[in-house]
Amino acid sequence: MLSIAEIKRGLFSYDEVSGGFVASLKTPADLLNAAKQVKAANVKLFDCFTPCPIHGLDAAMGLHRSWIPVLTFVGGLMAGILSLLYITFIDVFNWPIVYGGKPYFSWPAYVPILFEMVIYFAAVFTVVAVLVLGRLGFINRKVPAAGVTSDVFAIWIGDKGISKADVERILSGLNPQIEEVKA
Amino acid sequence: MATEKNIYHIGKPFAAMDDDVMRPIEAFPTKLWWGAFGISLMAAVLGVSTILYSFFVGLGVFAINNPVGWGFFIVNFVFWVGIGHAGTLISAILFLFRQKWRTSINRAAEAMTIFAVIVAAIFPLIHIGRPWFVYWAFPYPNERGPLWANFRSPLLWDLFAISTYFSVSLIFWYMGLVPDFATLRDRFERYKANSKIGKFLLEMKSLAYKVMAIGWVGSAKTWHHYEKMVMILSALATPLVLSVHTIVSFDFATSVIPGWHATIFPPYFVAGAIYSGFAMVMTLMIITREVFKLKEYITIKHLENMAIVILVTGMMVSFAYTVEFVMAAYSASHNEQYAFINRMTGPFAWAFWIMFTCNVVSPHFLWFKKLRTNIKVLFVISIVVNIGMWFERFVIVIISLHRDYLPSSWDSYDPTWADYAVMIGSFGIFFTLFLMFIRTIPSIALAEVKADEANASLSHH
Repeated sequence: MLSIAEIKRGLFSYDEVSGGFVASLKTPADLLNAAKQVKAANVKLFDCFTPCPIHGLDAAMGLHRSWIPVLTFVGGLMAGILSLLYITFIDVFNWPIVYGGKPYFSWPAYVPILFEMVIYFAAVFTVVAVLVLGRLGFINRKVPAAGVTSDVFAIWIGDKGISKADVERILSGLNPQIEEVKA
Repeated sequence: MATEKNIYHIGKPFAAMDDDVMRPIEAFPTKLWWGAFGISLMAAVLGVSTILYSFFVGLGVFAINNPVGWGFFIVNFVFWVGIGHAGTLISAILFLFRQKWRTSINRAAEAMTIFAVIVAAIFPLIHIGRPWFVYWAFPYPNERGPLWANFRSPLLWDLFAISTYFSVSLIFWYMGLVPDFATLRDRFERYKANSKIGKFLLEMKSLAYKVMAIGWVGSAKTWHHYEKMVMILSALATPLVLSVHTIVSFDFATSVIPGWHATIFPPYFVAGAIYSGFAMVMTLMIITREVFKLKEYITIKHLENMAIVILVTGMMVSFAYTVEFVMAAYSASHNEQYAFINRMTGPFAWAFWIMFTCNVVSPHFLWFKKLRTNIKVLFVISIVVNIGMWFERFVIVIISLHRDYLPSSWDSYDPTWADYAVMIGSFGIFFTLFLMFIRTIPSIALAEVKADEANASLSHH
């Protein structure tokens, strides 16, 4: 189970400021191997930094499935139910008017609007979820290694008490450029 | 690195790609850009001042009359909403179908969508006559009775559809931009350190990109959620884009006007929207790749793929025209039959035949590989198609309205200078926004192009 402190750290901070080492690599293939080797060495706290999404990196890093689809569903469902209740309140209770001989509660005519509201709130929930779960919004966050938004593939290893020699050993064979991160 | 299958492979180092794509943003604009921007801005000013003038003197400056109450407003509205559809089609539907060629063109196409929807929204705003009361359409608790909007009206559905479409397209576009803004942010950090001149402007630009990048550092944990989001937003945007033009067509189809009251309208409108939207993307892409030297990214193969989409949707539109005629002929309704005879032979027959030539005849040139890989031919056809699609909306709105059931209420329609000024202005606003976009925002989705390249290299190992 997650502790309160872990959740707080997860929501209001990001990892790579807490110290450790960053290793820069040249190719996505090297990064995939690095992630596998780091995982195999039983490192707990690490993250990768890439200019583009890399297929298979999630699995190599052992990330669990994203919660995003669940939140999308919740957003859409809530929007649909609340919109239907609101329209019903307006058309049936607050100001009932007969339009073209149709009943007060003429649900088929509400479908287009309900559909649009479901799509809108599902999309908004999805994006807000990415902002929160993906730790976006810290505009002063620095790239951990120069060039990770251009052509560098980097891996950060942040386990407590790990030394530069350990990192070199874990990433042996990949010829990384290793720098220490000051906490 | 390149496999046979990956014909869209660019094969450049990532840093060189950054330089190619960012060049229009970082360099001083060319004379060509200033010329185009000047003309667009003048057209935009003409349009905006005419609109403001009409707010002061009233709708009488326009040609709308009884029975042609919709006039140029709705012609232009439907035209621009239609243009907008290609962007979402490319970014969402082609994403779901794993069409790799979309990555080079989706950014500009989405930008086009957003600008087209902004321009489209101007027309109903003028048309309501008292634009300062436009917020009455939103159902919030109010002190006017309460006076609520009518949820059974297709016009209100349309308001919701367009608003949702605009918002969702905007956030989809922006979220797609965040990794590229981060690339720009880091490039501008470097320039700031090296440059001595133009310091203030550089600082402001750098700050703007820093804010827009919302702290993106390319963390794999962020990409993990981000990729899921792209998938979900595509899945949401796909039914959304189909719903928007369906609902626009309901504005017509749920009425009882001869020529409008047809069940073919929703698919017919959606096909037409994709048709005209792709033609507009083609026009803009041909210009962008020539002016900004992006021929390695937007290749002939990309244009050819778009040409095939134009050919297919063009034939769908032709089919819909045929179905309309057959349904009218078979309807046993004299008014319905007359509406179609009037289209072909009435006072506005010229509009019908322009539409027919542009929309039904011109796409068939694209059957030939020689023609659909010729940039000049594609450029001409893309413009011809859009002229045709503008006239399609003219035919639907003006010809159907000017003669309905009762001959004593028939009238004609003669657009005034103000109608033309606002129409020219709409193109001006659109192109002004687009030209500003290519100067400030990466016009190619860099991170996506890089992902295609990187993952192609991985699968080869």
